[in-house]
Order: sequence, then C-alpha cells, then structure tokens
Amino acid sequence: MQAISVKELEKTFRVRRKEKGMRGSVQAILRPQTEEVKAVRGVSFGVDEGEMLAFIGPNGAGKSTTIKMLTGILYPDGGRVEVLGIDPAKRRRQLAYQIGTVFGQKEQLWTHLTPYDNFRFFGAIYDIPEKETERRIGELTERFELGGFINTPVRNLSLGQRIRCEIVASLLHKPKVLFLDEPTIGLDPVVKESVRSLIKQMNREFNTTIFLTSHDVGDIEKLCKRIIIVNAGQIVLDDSMEHLKYHYLHKKIVEVKMQEETTFPQVEGITILKHKGTYARLEVDTAAIEIGDALRRINAQAVEDINISNVPLENIIMEIYKAEGKDAAS
Amino acid sequence: MRRQEKNAGANVGVLGKREKYIGRRYGLPGRKYGVIYRSVLMENLQYAANIALGFFGYFVFIFIFIKLWDYIYQTPGELIAGYSKEQMIWYVMMTEMMWFGSNAGSVGRQVKTDIRGGNIAYLMNKPYHYTLYILTKYTGEWSVRLPMYALLAVMIGTMMVGPVPGFKIVAVPVMAACIILGLTINAVFKICISLLSFWIEDASPFQWLYDKLLLVVGTIFPVEIFPQALQPFFKLTPIYTVCYGPAKLIVDFRPDKCVEILAAQVLYLAAGCGLMFFVYRKGVKKLYVNGG
Amino acid sequence: MLTVVKNQILVCILSVKYNIMREMLNKVTFLMNVTFMILNNASILIQWFVLFRLREDIGGYTMREVMLLWGLTAASFGLSRVLFARVYSLPELIVSGKLDSYLVQPKNVLLSVMTSSTNISAIGDLLYGLILLAVCGLGVRGFLLSLLFVVTGMIILTAFALFLGSLAFWFVRVEMLSGEMVMGLISFATYPDGIFQGISRFLLYFIMPVGMIVYHPVHILVRFDAGMFFTVLGYACLLSVAATVVFYRGLRRYASSSLMEARM
Repeated sequence: MQAISVKELEKTFRVRRKEKGMRGSVQAILRPQTEEVKAVRGVSFGVDEGEMLAFIGPNGAGKSTTIKMLTGILYPDGGRVEVLGIDPAKRRRQLAYQIGTVFGQKEQLWTHLTPYDNFRFFGAIYDIPEKETERRIGELTERFELGGFINTPVRNLSLGQRIRCEIVASLLHKPKVLFLDEPTIGLDPVVKESVRSLIKQMNREFNTTIFLTSHDVGDIEKLCKRIIIVNAGQIVLDDSMEHLKYHYLHKKIVEVKMQEETTFPQVEGITILKHKGTYARLEVDTAAIEIGDALRRINAQAVEDINISNVPLENIIMEIYKAEGKDAAS
Repeated sequence: MRRQEKNAGANVGVLGKREKYIGRRYGLPGRKYGVIYRSVLMENLQYAANIALGFFGYFVFIFIFIKLWDYIYQTPGELIAGYSKEQMIWYVMMTEMMWFGSNAGSVGRQVKTDIRGGNIAYLMNKPYHYTLYILTKYTGEWSVRLPMYALLAVMIGTMMVGPVPGFKIVAVPVMAACIILGLTINAVFKICISLLSFWIEDASPFQWLYDKLLLVVGTIFPVEIFPQALQPFFKLTPIYTVCYGPAKLIVDFRPDKCVEILAAQVLYLAAGCGLMFFVYRKGVKKLYVNGG
Repeated sequence: MLTVVKNQILVCILSVKYNIMREMLNKVTFLMNVTFMILNNASILIQWFVLFRLREDIGGYTMREVMLLWGLTAASFGLSRVLFARVYSLPELIVSGKLDSYLVQPKNVLLSVMTSSTNISAIGDLLYGLILLAVCGLGVRGFLLSLLFVVTGMIILTAFALFLGSLAFWFVRVEMLSGEMVMGLISFATYPDGIFQGISRFLLYFIMPVGMIVYHPVHILVRFDAGMFFTVLGYACLLSVAATVVFYRGLRRYASSSLMEARM
C-alpha cells in the first residue's frame, strides 16, 4: 500500500483585492473585489511506505497548501487525497493518531513547561497509557540526547534544543508518516546536521515515511532519494535524486591555477566563467564536448592545481524554478 | 485596535530617521513632533472604517443611559443635582465621547510593551523625548477618532434627546480647547501610570483603577450628584479637569466657570508634565543601573 | 466511546491547568491582576449607591437585585474567560491562520482551541461575582441555583462569542465587530431589564441573549418559575449546538496562513 496517494488535487483561495490609498480603502468597504488564486492545480503523486521525499518549490508555489491538505488542516477543493488509506478531510482525527507534523516556524510546545511535561501532555493527547508514555519518553530522550535539558522549561532552551524537542514530541505516538515543513529553518549548521541525522535515524529504524519541505538544499541532498518540485501550483519535476543529478549534470566546473598567465582557446562547450591572472574557472558542457577533450585543451604541463566539480544542486534547482516559472507565466 | 497599534509600532524607525533629518535641517525643536503628528494622523485615517465599528459600543452605552435617566426622572422639568434630564444625558454623551474618542492604545499598552519588551532602549536614544513622542502620537490618534465620535454624539443627541438647553454656539471654540486640554491631561496621567512598568511587570491594574475612578465619579454623572461633603475632594482629582470640566461647560456654559476650569487645566497640565518627566527620568536611571 | 470522552475531558483539564500555571509564573503580577480586578468591579457599586439615593427602585430592581445581576454577569463572564478565553480571540486566530496545530491533533478541534489560553483578570471577575452572590442572602438552595445559572450564563456567553467569532471564516472584519458585540452584551447585562421597554426589550431577550444570561436567572432567583428555568436551560443547549455547527461549517473554509502567502 502507498503511504500517500494524491490525485488531481486542487485548492483555490479567494483573495480580497484592495487598491492603494484612501480611495482604495473606501472602495474596498463599499465594493469589495475578490480574485481567485489557484494555489494548487491538479497535483498527483504517490509516496511509498518508508520513502523519504523532498517536496520543494519557490515561495508561494503551493507546497505548504499541499502539506496542509495532506494533514487535514485545509479542505481540498478538488481531487483525492489518501494518507495511509484515510481521507484527511473526512477522518481527520483518525489520521492524526498515525501521522506526525513538525512545522519549523510554528511551535506546538508549551513554552513555560519542561520538555518532560510537554511530552506527558502529548501522551495524553494521543491517548497513550501513562506507563507507555514514560517508557517512550525515556527511549526517545536517550536516543536523541535530550537528557541534559529534559527538565528545563522550553522557553529557556536554545532554538536547536527546542526543535529537537518539537520533533520528539511529534514522534511520541510512533507516527507512520512524518510531515516536516522547513524543520531546519534558522538553525546553525551543527544543529541542522543533528536534526538531519535524527530524521534519517527515524526512517531507518521505524521505516517512517518522511515528507519534507525545505528551502535548504542540504536537507534535501542529505536526506531524500526522491524529489518533487512544484511551481505555480503544479508539479514540474518528479524524479529520483540520482537521476536528477545525472540528467542535469551535463555541466562540470573546472577550476585551474596555472603557473603563468595563459589564454584559453575558444571552443564550443567551454565557457570561461572567470579569468583573472593565473586563475580561471571554466564551465564544460559535456553534451557538446567530452570532458577528456576539454582537459586536453588546457596545457597540462603549466597546470599548478586543478579542481573538477559538479554544478551545485542549488544551481540546478534554481534553474528549474526559473525555467518553469517562465513557462507557467506565459 | 491591535492591528492599529502594530502598524504604528512598525513606523517608529522610519519616523525616527525622518524626524532627525528635519530637526537638523531646520533647527526647530518643535517641528519634529509636528512631523510625527502628521504621519500618525495619516496612518490613522486609513483605519477610519475600523474606528467606526467601535460606534456600536458607544451607542449601547448611551442607549442604556438614556433609558436609565428616562426611568429615574419621573416628572418633566424635574432637576436632579441641578441638572435637567436633557443636560444629564448630554453630560454622559460628552464624557463618553471623550472617552471613546481618545481610547487609543499608545499611552497605555504601547508604553507598557515598549518598556517591558525592551524596545525602550532604542527609543530613548532618539533625538526626541520619549514621553513627548508618545503624547504626540496619541494626539494624532485621537485627532481622527474624536471628530468621528463627536459627529456620532451630535447625531444621536439631536435625534434621541433633543438639543442642549441654552447651548451657546459662540462658546464652541472655548469648549473645544477645554476638551483638548482635558484629553492631554488625561494622557499625561496615563503615561505616568504606564511608566510604572519600569518598576513592576504589569502596570495595567493601576490603569484600570484610574480609568474606573474617572468612569464612576466623573463620566457617568456629574460630580454634583455626590454628597456635598465630597465636593472639595473631587476638585483636587484629575476628574475635575479631565472629564467633568469640559462636559459641564458644554451642557451648562457660564463664563466664570469657564475661566475657573481653564485655569485649573493649565495648572494640572504643568504639574502633570512635571511629574511625567520626573518619573521618566527616574525610570531611565533605573534602567541604566540594572540593565534592560 | 466512553474512554474517548474521558480522554478528551482529561486533555481539556490539563490544558486549563497548564494555562493557569503559566499565568501564575509571576506571583505578584498574578495576585495584583486578580485583586485589582475585584476592586475595579467593586467600584461600580458606588454608581448604584448614588442611583438608589435618587430612587428606591430602578427598573423594578433594588440594590439586592442589582447585586445579583452583577454577581451572575461577572461570574459567568469570568468563568467563560478562565476556561475558554480563546473563544474571544477566535477571529484573530482564524484570520491569521493559527488553528493549524489544533487541527493536526487527534482531539476535538473546537475544545482544543477554546481551552488553549486563559485570562488572569477573569479570575478576579469570577471571584467578585461569587462573593456578590454569596452575600446576597440567597440561602443554600438559592446559592446553589445561582451557581447553576453562572454555568448556563457561561455557556450562553461562550456560545454567543463562538457564533460571532466563527463568522470570521466568512468575513474578515468580524474580528473587530464580534468584540464590540460581546462588550455591548456585557454592558446591557449590568443594568436592570426594567428600564428597557418595547423593541429594545425584545432585542435583549431574543437577539442578544442577555435575557437568558442574567435577566431570567435574576427573576428566577427572586421568585422561582419552572417555565423560565427550563427556557434558560433549553436556550443554553440550543445556542451551543448552533454555534458549534457554525464553527464546523466555517472550518471547511479555513485557509490557514496560505491566504497571506497568496496575498504576497
């Protein structure tokens, strides 16, 4: 069975329009004008059990709207959603027992209570027997190293400690699917890394399905095997990470430092991105020229240092956003 | 209400900058407050529709009092504490008009959140006096609200009560001055109470008590209705200058009373401002000693 | 089914308890808020002493009835805001999309939202109301009856605010208006019904539920009337159901914070 299946999902918001200035304000009261914004238009995809999926897109692309329809927060206007075989709009509460949610920008914890008390509260919300709650708190505390601050009120915790607690709180009832909306927003690199490894561990040990949205390419690259890109309410790409890289990685970046100043030949497939003194950065389009050929064009004896790398994933994604954005607009 | 304040708060930075520039350029110390006033006024004009939603509360209050005095006055032409029924109702309409028309958050909630939230550290280093800045902002707020409520009050009054007996149209400018002075004195006292936030976490309980004192003693009926023995005491409280004085002049204008009230208001304003500056200075000093 | 209800109640109690614990973190502020609210309410009695010097009855009420009126209103309003303070800021939550975290919990959304905050000064209102009712000389049975009316009044007030607040799912401007309506209702509820005649009386009994919240209860406490008694109980149930239905109908239109994102 698929953990998540979405068919032709649609959501439209009606937004009130207001002209600028006093006249606009008066007009908005007398004759309110609304316009429809199609936030999600005909999105279909499926996620297998135990899969880790990155669901990304630029701001306003419809990511959050989709995730909110999957978790039962928003009612869809059209199409079908099933999460673990349950329709979130119809049996929201039943679904809630089986999924976990972490919204990076919204806190679910009571800030004046300790993480321990918070976890007990969540235990009560999810109808977990008290003994069982205790056992799971113990287990999760140890695994995610919360021991040092489990009895400190949440308002006194650092952002990193807090988000770890948020995640643990959403794991207490052993959800089968975990929805993470920007879980690493505002965190420093070290904490980001620990949150990522925590998520990975979850997936490995409990076979939890992970549905992740993030603007952080690191999250996506390090966690997910599959990526769905949405733009303007539509899916523009649904592919495995490997395939994405292979497919879009027909460009390599070659950085060279020569012993003395040289000029580079003008060949099709090689673009000089930067050339300053003895240093040069070249982009090689492997569709037009083999990488070996390209390297032969450089005087190997004169090379002091060389570095060949892929185009960063970030740039690939940015290009997809831009290209698809243009399509959608036209 | 809340939205209004939020937006106003966001403007602080911009205002600060702009006003600094103008101050240097023209070298006029008072001009910066003029600029603040104008900005706040423009901003509040945009919320006129929201302010109008508050008319409901005013209407309910006045409606209740019309019914209440209708019940209590049994015979036509009866006087209670020297007031006819029409005067009594106009009195409460005027005091409530001032109350609703000046019910903006800056002197209460904003000062409190500025101080408790630590925002004060940025505001007090601006080239203006923080309390005067708040006072100016507050003036900008009521400059929009008060005329709206005044219009409403006149409409309700003429339709449901009838005109004020013996109303003198020539005295309107004096009455307006008296109202404005009253509102300003009230604001100064409210700022003083809010400044207590330098020492205690939540000054709003004191705010309530002050408001209630004004409401019970000076707003819902004139002070003459209280026993004779208490009268001299009331003259010493802010009630006399804040709400009783202006409203009394409107329902029963007499030149000698007018001079007396205006004089008391000027005295009160001077004393109130002195107190405000003093408390503010003490508070800032305390902040420097203990940190934010 | 029974365990579901039991667990739900348990969670609500925990919520309210944690809310109050949060407010009590600073004991001085807490106590000051409560005592000053009591003083604040008590100062209104001055108004009534003055008015009763002018006439012996006002709208058919003597001082004792006015105290009953105030006691019931203050206690109902206080209790409602101790337990369900969030109802009064519901429009803001709806408009700014803050219901999300309650919607992902496997519990009743409405109850979770309602119990998610408290108001400390409301404790002062509640205590003041109860004190007034206790000193009115109702006798044990009368006092217990008045407590029942505090509960029905609380239910009607909460349902009224919920009903108005839920309209924010449809109309954004409700945010301001519903607050005004609730405060207007409280204003009416603190004056004798005898001074209102004609249309205003009709409005107060049938459109704004002031009659059901306090006027009927005051009359019943003065002289018991079974018909009125069951009208109040029935009305409390009816309005609660109606308000709940409106809330859930509206929830289908809930837009979370997506609206704001779309606006940008």
